[in-house]
Amino acid sequence: MSEIIRFDDVHYTYPGDEQESLCGVTLGIEEGSFVAVLGQNGSGKSTLAKHMNAILIPDEGTVLIAGIDTGNEDRVIEIRRRVGMVFQNPDNQIVANVVEDDVAFAPENLGVEPAEIRRRVDDALRQVGMYEYREHAPHLLSGGQKQRIAIAGVIAMQPQIIVLDEPTAMLDPIGRREVLATVTRLCREKGMTVVLITHHMDECIGADRVLVMADGFLVADGTPGDLFSQPELMKKHGLDVPETVKLMADLNRQGWNLPLSALQIEDCVEEIRKGIGS
Amino acid sequence: MLKDITLGQFFPGNTLIHRLDPRTKIVCIMVYIVALFLAQGWAAYLLMTAVTLLLMAVSRISPKRIFTGLKPMVFIIVLTGVLNIFYTKGTPVAEGWIITWEGLEKAAQMILRITLLISGTFLLTYTTSPIALTDGLEKLLNPLKKIGLPVHEMTLMMSMALRFIPTLIEETDKIMSAQRARGADFETGGLIKRAKALLPILVPLFVSAFRRADELAVAMESRCYHGGEGRTRMKQMKLAAIDGGAALFTVAFFAAVIVLKRIGI
Repeated sequence: MSEIIRFDDVHYTYPGDEQESLCGVTLGIEEGSFVAVLGQNGSGKSTLAKHMNAILIPDEGTVLIAGIDTGNEDRVIEIRRRVGMVFQNPDNQIVANVVEDDVAFAPENLGVEPAEIRRRVDDALRQVGMYEYREHAPHLLSGGQKQRIAIAGVIAMQPQIIVLDEPTAMLDPIGRREVLATVTRLCREKGMTVVLITHHMDECIGADRVLVMADGFLVADGTPGDLFSQPELMKKHGLDVPETVKLMADLNRQGWNLPLSALQIEDCVEEIRKGIGS
Repeated sequence: MLKDITLGQFFPGNTLIHRLDPRTKIVCIMVYIVALFLAQGWAAYLLMTAVTLLLMAVSRISPKRIFTGLKPMVFIIVLTGVLNIFYTKGTPVAEGWIITWEGLEKAAQMILRITLLISGTFLLTYTTSPIALTDGLEKLLNPLKKIGLPVHEMTLMMSMALRFIPTLIEETDKIMSAQRARGADFETGGLIKRAKALLPILVPLFVSAFRRADELAVAMESRCYHGGEGRTRMKQMKLAAIDGGAALFTVAFFAAVIVLKRIGI
C-alpha cells in the first residue's frame, strides 16, 4: 500500500502564540488504513488534523496529500476534495435547513452536474443510514444523527480520506456508537482512509494504528495492542488505557497471567475464559 | 417559551400556490403591491379584496391565520386610519366637526389597503419555504451581478441566518436557564430593569455566535466553498404551465385595476 498522507518535519505556531503547536512532526499514513490520533487537550492533535486539508499550512516542513503539497495555493480545492473533514460540533458545520441540501453543499461548490449531485447525495445518505431523514430539518435531529449528516456531507465529495476531529466529543454514548460504526464501515468496506482524532481510548481499539501526540510532538506510534499494553507509557502522556486493559491489568495484579493486548470485549472474555479453564 | 417563536412562518402544503415557482410568486406579489398602490375607487378595492380572498381559498390558508399574523400590526393600521380621518379636508360630517365624509372614506380605504398589503405578503411567506424564497431571490437578482452586487453572498447570508435562528434560540434558552439557576430575574420589574437583565444574556450569546461563525467558516472551506463562481445547484427551478397561468392572471388583474382607475369608479 502506498502512503497517501505524508508529513515531513512539520512545524507550526499559531499567530500570536509563543509556543509551537507542532514541533517537527514526521509521519506517513497508508492508503485505506484506519488511524487514530490520541492526545490530551492542547497536545496538537487538532492542529495536526487541520494540516491535512490545507486549513493550516506548515511554517516549516511539508505536508503531502496524495503527492500534492498543501502549500501549493492553486491546488487547495483539489486537496480539500480529497480530504473530507468532520468537526466536533455538529451544529456549526451544517449549512442548510434541510438535510439533503446540506449534503449537496460540497458537490455544489465543486460544480458537479445537478443529476449527479442528486445521485451522490442519495448514495451518501444511504451509506450513513440517514436516507429516510433527507427532508428533515437538521436542528430537530439528535447529535449522533447530525454528525452522520456531516459525514454524509463529506462523503458526497467522494474523498479518499476522511479526517474526523473529535467527532464524538459532544455526543451521548448512543450517538458515539452510531458515528464510530459508520466511520469504521467506510474504512473497511469502502476502502477510505480514516484519520480519527480523539481522546477516548475506547474509540482507538478498532484502529489499525494509533498515534499519540503530546505537547506538539508525536510521542508514540503503533498498533492499539502494542500501545495499550504499556500503561506506563500512556500514563506518562496523561492518557488512560481502555477499560478492558484496566481489567486485565487488575486481574494480573491478583496473580492472573493475561495478555494486555486483548482489547475488544469479546477477546477479553475469551482470554479470561481461557485463564479460568487452565 | 422561546421555542414557540417561529420566524419566516411557512405552512407546508401541496396547493396550486404552494407549487408555483418561488420566482413567479415573488414577481406576482410585487405586481400585486404596485396594483394596491395604484388602486383608486371602491370598485378597484373590491376587486383587490376579492382576489386576495380567492388566493387565500386556493392556498388553503384560513383568514383566521392571516388575522393572527395581522395582530401585531393593528396599532399601526388603526393609527393610519385615525390620522386620515382627521387630516382630510372636505365636507364635515356634522356642523362644526373636523371629521369629514372624505376623511372617513379615505381612512376606510387606507385600512383596507394596508390590511391587503400585509395579507398578500403573508400569502407569499406562508406558502413558500424560506429556502425556496432565498433561492428564488438569488435567481431573480442574478442580473444585478453585472453591476457588481454580491447577490450570491447576500442570499447565502440570508439562508445561513435562517439556518441558525433555531440554534441560537436554543442557545438563548440555555443561557437564560443558567442565569435563572443563579438567581437572575427576567420577569419582574419595569422596562428598564428588564432590559438590563437581558444584558447578561446577550453578551455570552454574541461571544458564542462569533465562535460559531468562525467554526462554520472553517467547515465551509473544508467543503470546498470558494464563492458563487462555478457553483451548481442540486435543485433546479423550472417554470411550469401553472407559472404561466399565474403570470397571465396577475397581468389581467393588474390591467383591470388600471382600467378601473382610468374610468374612475
